[in-house]
Amino acid sequence: MLLFIPTLIGLTVIVFTLLHIGGTTKLLAMYLSPRLTGAARAHVIAELDAKFHLNQPVYVQYFYWLIQILEGNWGITNTPLYSGPVTQAIAIFFPNTLILTIFAAIIIWLVSIPLGVHTAVNRDKPSDNAIRVASLTFYAMPWYLIGVVLIIIFAVYFRILPIAGTVNPSLVVGLSWYHNGISYPTHILLIDALLHGDFKVAWNAFLHLIMPSVTLSLGVMAALIRLMRGTMLETMDQDFVNFARAKGVPEKVVINLHAKNNALLPVVTNFGYLVAGLLGGVVVIEDVFSYPGIGMWLTSAMLNNDMGGIMGGTLLFGLILVTTSLFLDILYAKIDPRIRY
Amino acid sequence: MSAQKTAKEDKHRELKLSMEVFFSNKSAVAGLVIFLFYFFDAIILQFFPQVMPFKHPYSLTPNYVNPIPLPPSKKFPFGTTYPGVNLLTAIIKSIRLDFWLSLAVVVPGAFLGVIIGIVATYFGGLVDEVLMRITDIVFSIPYLVLAIAIGYVLGRTLDSMMIALILVWWPLYARYARSVTLEVKEITFIEAARAAGSSKMKIMFRHILPNSLPPVFVQMSLDLGTIMLTISALAFIGFLPAANLPELGYLTSLGYNYVETAPWAMIIPGMFIVLFALAVNLMGDGFRDVIDPRRRSAL
Repeated sequence: MLLFIPTLIGLTVIVFTLLHIGGTTKLLAMYLSPRLTGAARAHVIAELDAKFHLNQPVYVQYFYWLIQILEGNWGITNTPLYSGPVTQAIAIFFPNTLILTIFAAIIIWLVSIPLGVHTAVNRDKPSDNAIRVASLTFYAMPWYLIGVVLIIIFAVYFRILPIAGTVNPSLVVGLSWYHNGISYPTHILLIDALLHGDFKVAWNAFLHLIMPSVTLSLGVMAALIRLMRGTMLETMDQDFVNFARAKGVPEKVVINLHAKNNALLPVVTNFGYLVAGLLGGVVVIEDVFSYPGIGMWLTSAMLNNDMGGIMGGTLLFGLILVTTSLFLDILYAKIDPRIRY
Repeated sequence: MSAQKTAKEDKHRELKLSMEVFFSNKSAVAGLVIFLFYFFDAIILQFFPQVMPFKHPYSLTPNYVNPIPLPPSKKFPFGTTYPGVNLLTAIIKSIRLDFWLSLAVVVPGAFLGVIIGIVATYFGGLVDEVLMRITDIVFSIPYLVLAIAIGYVLGRTLDSMMIALILVWWPLYARYARSVTLEVKEITFIEAARAAGSSKMKIMFRHILPNSLPPVFVQMSLDLGTIMLTISALAFIGFLPAANLPELGYLTSLGYNYVETAPWAMIIPGMFIVLFALAVNLMGDGFRDVIDPRRRSAL
């Protein structure tokens, strides 16, 4: 748990190093609006120079930069999606990514645990082999290709799900709580629509969420099914499971109560990897579905050589991963009394 | 003399047993066959491009007269993609680049990782702690995001993509090599070597290193597929701005705008990515069986 702080410092050092590899110009690019020209530009540069102490050694500059980051001055982003302060861009895009990952995590949890148990119980039977082949295929598929196949099947061929975006634009025309593609107050369209009692928009927003979240979950699910199958097979060989069988407990109860709960622990321990996988997948999948979240903002920042967006996104993803792993560590210590930090 | 001979025979028998274990796994053999197709494609186009009837073996040949994707036909067995690129030849050219790029990431990544893993276990204590902390820090950023950030700093080219992926990948191997080395270190024959008076250096490089290499090789063969997927994902989101590069991910992104009218332009290059990733996964599982003593004794 104490490792949290060094990891966090290391993360900022990595981002700062990336900012400084090309000299101070990259740092300036993160804070300087490209629209400024002439005297105003020179004035802002002088101001930044004073703020970041750019004439000092690099290790001194790092601390001044860190102070700015801690104060919430993350620089300026300038992409077709959004231009303005990075922190505001995060406030707008992050809720969308959050609801997407939560949906995906729920699907993963609901599908992969029962499937993992099923394959372990029916080991080497046709259903086990079929699920293993399917999950291996999804594992070997690039995320964007899963998304495209789903688009071709459900949006182009059957026409039952929308192709991209968050909502059908004709539904949100003239709504008082929706401006320029941003909904208020939570910035999550589905929740805002429910808050305002507009169920038609909410349903449409929900339909738009299905394909991205299913794609995201399919990419990560395969690894979890494999893990669950392995630990379940191991647990089912153990003495206490055999004992439960021997004393006459029905097989269903043995599997679902004795074996499954004990097999879940290693799976829960690997939840951090799952979060990492989800955050990586978001970058590609949001781009495929034109879903305005952090991932799409990041790719658009990459395509437009926008320093603020790239570094802001990197820092944000790092912070999320580090804090989730901290919370998970605390959680394990609570669940498993053998673990003490 | 005779001792040497039996050692040679032993080695021969070991090799034969390994082959038997591998070839008894049908899906692994299938994976190997597919892998060899990709391998020979890469070798031929890299070193003997004159064998193939291509005017430009290292770039796509667009046809702006007829840029709209055409469905598969006799002239174009896989169809064409925007802008009038023949998919069959484009895929043959792309496999070369993808294959060597994956190899160029896996080999230095594994090399760096193994060296660092062995150094960490050799010195132990503070060095171990610091090195493992560094891998933690690199792991704290999703690798796709870190690759994008590094790509921005170095400029988005093919070389910087390779460097970015190596920088992202070595911690994985460092951790893996460290865990394998720690495992090997506890086996009795290391203790025997120490008792026989071998130096620490000799134990490290003569005994531990050769025994920790096979699991690393298995991991490398599995990772070839993962890296191919990552490369194609990066190319798809537009990491490589230089158009005309024969790369499978870039080919799929060319077809993306026509996904409603010409699904083959995306599905067919995509299938070749999936095929490779699947093949190396199956092959890697086969190799894992080979080094698994339980499987060996079962035969």
